[in-house]
Amino acid sequence: MPLINFAAREINYKIVYYGCGLCGKTTNIQFIHRKINPDARGKLVSIATEEERTLYFDFLPLTLGKVKGMQTRFHLYTVPGQSYYNASRKLVLQGVDGIIFVADSQITRLDENVESYLNLWDNLLGQGDDLSKLAFVIQMNKRDLTETFSVEDLNELLNHTDSPVVPASAVTGEGVFETLKIVCKQVIAKTA
Amino acid sequence: MPKRKGLVINDRQLDLCDDLLQKLKEVSGSTFLALISTSGQPITTASDEYHPETLSLASLAASSFAATQQLARILDENEFTLLFHEGRALNLHVTQVTEQVLLIVTFGRETQVGKVRLYTQRAVEVLRQIFEVDEDEETPAMDADFESSAGRAIDDLFQDA
Repeated sequence: MPLINFAAREINYKIVYYGCGLCGKTTNIQFIHRKINPDARGKLVSIATEEERTLYFDFLPLTLGKVKGMQTRFHLYTVPGQSYYNASRKLVLQGVDGIIFVADSQITRLDENVESYLNLWDNLLGQGDDLSKLAFVIQMNKRDLTETFSVEDLNELLNHTDSPVVPASAVTGEGVFETLKIVCKQVIAKTA
Repeated sequence: MPKRKGLVINDRQLDLCDDLLQKLKEVSGSTFLALISTSGQPITTASDEYHPETLSLASLAASSFAATQQLARILDENEFTLLFHEGRALNLHVTQVTEQVLLIVTFGRETQVGKVRLYTQRAVEVLRQIFEVDEDEETPAMDADFESSAGRAIDDLFQDA
C-alpha cells in the first residue's frame, strides 16, 4: 500500500520495473527521464556497475501534482536483472504498489524471461504480498527487432494473470508512456 | 516476512514528529533530520539551512539500510539496527524506528557522534510510540473522486511526453 501522509497532504506510490538482464528496464526509465516535463521529475539515480549494468536499482521520482489537494507522486524503480542479484531485487520490491514486467521479445531470451517471471512471483509471495492489491502490467519490449516472438505467443507464455499487455520499443520510446500510464492508473484504482 | 500494509500519517502524528525532530536537532547539534518509510519515501524533515535532495536521499538511505539488514542475516546476526557513514565534513546516521519507519540524521564536526547517538536513541523510543499506535490500523481508501481526478492528471502529464 502507498505512503499516505494526510497531514502533509501527500501520497506516494512505488512502481517497480522487473525483468531479466538487458530486457530494457533502465532504458524505459531513461526515456521517461528524457521526455517528461522536467518540472514533473526529480533526479535520476542509478546504482550501476562500470559497464553500466544495474547493480542495485535506478530511481526516478515523478510528481503528478496536486490531485484533490493531495500532492501525488510515483517513485519509479528498476531491479537488477541478472539472476545472481536476487537479494537486491527482493529489497527493491519492499513496499511495491505496482509492477511493470518488461519482457524481452527476442526468441533467444525466452528462458531468461520465464525465469525472471517466476522469480518475480516467488519474491512477491515470499514477502507476503496480497497480489490482488498490486497493479501489474506486462510490457513486450524490443518489438523493433527481428526474430521475436509474436505478442500473442508471449502473452500465452507469460501472462497467466490476464494483465494488460503493451507492445513496446524502449529505445525508440514506443509504448513506454502507455505502459506507465496503465500502471499508474491501476495503482490508484487499487487504493480507491 | 511481515504482511504488507500501508503507512498512513495523520495530523496528530506529524505534529508530534515535527516537534520531536526539531528538539532532537537542537539538543544533538545535528544539521538535518528526516523520517522516511522503509520503502524509501520521505515522511517529514527538520532543517534550518541544509536541504539535501530529499527524495533521492530517502530512496538511497532506505535501500542501504535494507541491504545492511540482509548483511546481518548473512552474518548470522539478528539485526543491525543502525547504519553510520563517517565523512570528512558530514556524517550520516540511520536508525530503525518501527518496521516501516526509519530516522535519518546528518551532523558535522560541531557535535559528537556519541551525543547524536544518545539523543537519537531516546527520540526513537518516543517516535516508536507515535507510530505503533496507528501502524496496525487499516489504510483508508482514497475516494472515487480522487481516482477520476488522478486519471485525468495522468493523461495530461503523459500526453505531451
